Amino acid sequence: MSLDSVLADLAAAAEDPQLAPREFPLMPEGEAVDMGHAEDGTPLIDPRIFDSPEFFRNPYPYYRILRDHYPVYHDKLHNCYWVTRYDDITECYFDDEGFNTIPKGSSSGVLGNTQLELSGIEHRRRRNLYGQHLVGKSLENRIPAIERLAEEMIGDWTRAAQQGAPYIVDEDGVRSVELGAAFANEFPIRVVCEVLGFPNEAQDDFFYWYNSMMSGLGGSDTHKQGVEARQHLEDYVAGIVEARRKQPTYLYDLDGNPISKDIISKLCETKVDGDYLSTEEITSNIALIVGGGGETTRGAILNMWRLLLSHPDQFEAVAADPDHWDRAFHETLRHSSSIGGQPRHNTYDIEMHGVTIPAGSLMQMVDFSANHDERIFKDPEKFDIFREDLYSGKLLRSGYRKEGRCSHMAFGVGPHLCPGAWISHQESVVGSKILLKHMSNPRLNTSRMPKDVDGVSPAPMGIVSTRELWVDYDLR
Amino acid sequence: MNPPADKSQAAVGVAGRNGVVIPQQSADRTGSDYRTYEVYQRERVGQSTEKIKPIQLVSDAYRVDPYPLLDILRENYPCYRDWLGNCFWITRYDDVTSVFTDEGNFETRPKAWYYGLSHFGRDLGEALPVLEAQAACMDNRSEDIAARLADGLKDAGGGNLATQFAAGFAVELLLVTWGIPVADTDQFVSRYFAMQRGTSWRPSLQQAGKQALDELVHYFEELLAARRADPGDDMVSVLAQLELDDGPVTAEDVVRTLLEGDHQTLHGALANLWYLLLTHPQEFEKARAERRLMKLAYLETLRHSTPVLSAQRFTRHEVERFGRLLPAGALVVCSAAAANRDPRVFDQPERYIADRADMCHREPRGQYRADGLASGIAFALGPPSKHPAVPEDRPRSAYALTRDAAVTASQTLLATVGDLRLADASQPQLAALSVGEMHTCWNLPVEVPRG
Repeated sequence: MSLDSVLADLAAAAEDPQLAPREFPLMPEGEAVDMGHAEDGTPLIDPRIFDSPEFFRNPYPYYRILRDHYPVYHDKLHNCYWVTRYDDITECYFDDEGFNTIPKGSSSGVLGNTQLELSGIEHRRRRNLYGQHLVGKSLENRIPAIERLAEEMIGDWTRAAQQGAPYIVDEDGVRSVELGAAFANEFPIRVVCEVLGFPNEAQDDFFYWYNSMMSGLGGSDTHKQGVEARQHLEDYVAGIVEARRKQPTYLYDLDGNPISKDIISKLCETKVDGDYLSTEEITSNIALIVGGGGETTRGAILNMWRLLLSHPDQFEAVAADPDHWDRAFHETLRHSSSIGGQPRHNTYDIEMHGVTIPAGSLMQMVDFSANHDERIFKDPEKFDIFREDLYSGKLLRSGYRKEGRCSHMAFGVGPHLCPGAWISHQESVVGSKILLKHMSNPRLNTSRMPKDVDGVSPAPMGIVSTRELWVDYDLR
Repeated sequence: MNPPADKSQAAVGVAGRNGVVIPQQSADRTGSDYRTYEVYQRERVGQSTEKIKPIQLVSDAYRVDPYPLLDILRENYPCYRDWLGNCFWITRYDDVTSVFTDEGNFETRPKAWYYGLSHFGRDLGEALPVLEAQAACMDNRSEDIAARLADGLKDAGGGNLATQFAAGFAVELLLVTWGIPVADTDQFVSRYFAMQRGTSWRPSLQQAGKQALDELVHYFEELLAARRADPGDDMVSVLAQLELDDGPVTAEDVVRTLLEGDHQTLHGALANLWYLLLTHPQEFEKARAERRLMKLAYLETLRHSTPVLSAQRFTRHEVERFGRLLPAGALVVCSAAAANRDPRVFDQPERYIADRADMCHREPRGQYRADGLASGIAFALGPPSKHPAVPEDRPRSAYALTRDAAVTASQTLLATVGDLRLADASQPQLAALSVGEMHTCWNLPVEVPRG
């Protein structure tokens, strides 16, 4: 090669159209695009893949490459380090001094300053204020309300079908229902409104605010709409908080007897360091509960039904023994959870897997990948509610390994373990039991499902959960 | 978790709770940098940044013409939080220069860091004998090299000025400065380009760069030994004879010094200068009519179309600036391209005016303004020199040396060929090879009229 040809090659490269993220070819599920190889055969990862439609529908093969070849991958395009192995992530989650949560991540733009971004004692103190309302006795108190909401929503289907709702179609004694629009999209939001004690007439607004906030998280096209929705939500909640400070409101059981004060009323009378919580503090964390309690549970319900109905033997087992719903829930969250991972920032200069990471760097902990780490879960792509290596008992903040088995990472582990884990579990299982009660011989209607690129098979769940889930059942 | 690769480093670190190695110095700090969250302001409705999407800043449009996008940032979001790239964009002239001259708050990471090789060799580029050797070469050899390349263009009746002259000049100057034997030219140049491009975010370039870097270390082992035995006046010989407190100079030191050096400003600005002259006939006429204007045309090129679009800085600690709280370790992307076209500083900034009146025409000292006028920012040359313009005890700054070499080359070209024009139907443009690389003209077909 001569000097002239070296330079001519560079000149030719300048004329070469560059590959844009959206131009990565769409692959069969489970297979990665070939992004080149190193001399020794190691597959390369082009960081633009993380912004591509291909990645959104088919993330797992790429995470596998990261786990196997780059347990800590320095992504210079996104200025972060991807951490993908189960053991590494769980250890970092437990060390909330070494891996802090100060707000540099993408959620703070819309959600505001919340629990997500506190560490250490400040986090523990406030977390318990909110968390205590979502577990144990408080949670049990809320189950009748959850059941009532589910019954109400499903009980409305026949009326909706008669009025021509696009998500319910009755034909020849068979009803086709889109479980998202008919149930799962709204159900979790209604539960949130219920436990927060918001009036019924506010629920439509809530649903809109919630959708806008979710689609407007950091950097997306609809960011402004998200920030505006957050502002409206905040203004609305601030009014409620002021009212509850003067006049607390209560939750009632099915017989109309008061059970306890609702969360906002309780927060209004809570003190930290001798001071009442500010309205800003309450509204921020209410926004987080709204944001965290909707999409995640929606995804869990839809993914669980989709996975069960596409594995009929396992569905039969669950239908025969309702105790199996817990296993189905946990295996669904391992196999296809709704939350991809959490950002952390290392407090110190560190070295991990031979990669030096300067203090203050963004470390993306990929829960999706941890859940599919073959070092922990055998044959991770397989959906099996009876798998031996998944812990599916009561989730504990203190640990993620029990009885020799590991829990999934959908709720994280350690101090920041999702405080809504238990209520989300109850919503999904209680809601599903009631769904099953009303649906005779349910099966997937794949012809109505959104299609993948081949135009034949249903679109994969990818990292955004099932968008639409059409189920047929026999009208009795 | 794996043990750290380098045992000698593990000795000075402590194993943290995660089996992660924390260097002793960091571990000695007490507690985390916890701040109550009230300090951090979340984005409000009025601050949402819907006029631009972060993906556009790594798009093909940005690669070819970043200026319209940078205008949006500078005029709307002077400290833009780029969620996708996890960084803050600084785009106004005064802001960018304030970061550049503030080493106390903003850290510059060496190119070796982008390779993940912070402990690779020593950068000896600032050693006085090295600077002197470099200055002597750039001053004494520029004219010969430019004349030879210009003759080649003239004899052929034209060619691609961007590669055959601009890149060729920068490369040949590099070769003589470093004393690379003629026989090794081609191999050395392709490895050199591969190594410089390897700091990219693109994995294929990183791989090629790492390989080239290893090969260069191997290559310089022999050359260094040869020059030690029989020194000349080139950089490798000078490096071979340096006496340092912490051991003799190794091939790794040579490669590190080569890596941290800058060829982009000479190559890129020379190509951009000629691109601008040939596409702005009026300005070209001015530069031909008055010899001294070539220098001003070069300075205006650095302002109007700087080859190194932006530089990265990292906050050393939490910094409150630009109406924001920048967390410790945050990446701050300072855009010279945006700052150089800041209408607060330059009148009609998008126009190329060789003898621009509102720009400083001499080398600024210590800061970016002199005589009350702003100067164009060219980052790769470092912040403005604090030494006198013509110091007695050291060579002139890299800024001055590069400027003089480019101006000499351009004047020599003009004197040799007499006249030059764009080849018919050619539509040259500036573009980076990929986002983040030098923004320059790679194809500039010219004709030399026979006369």
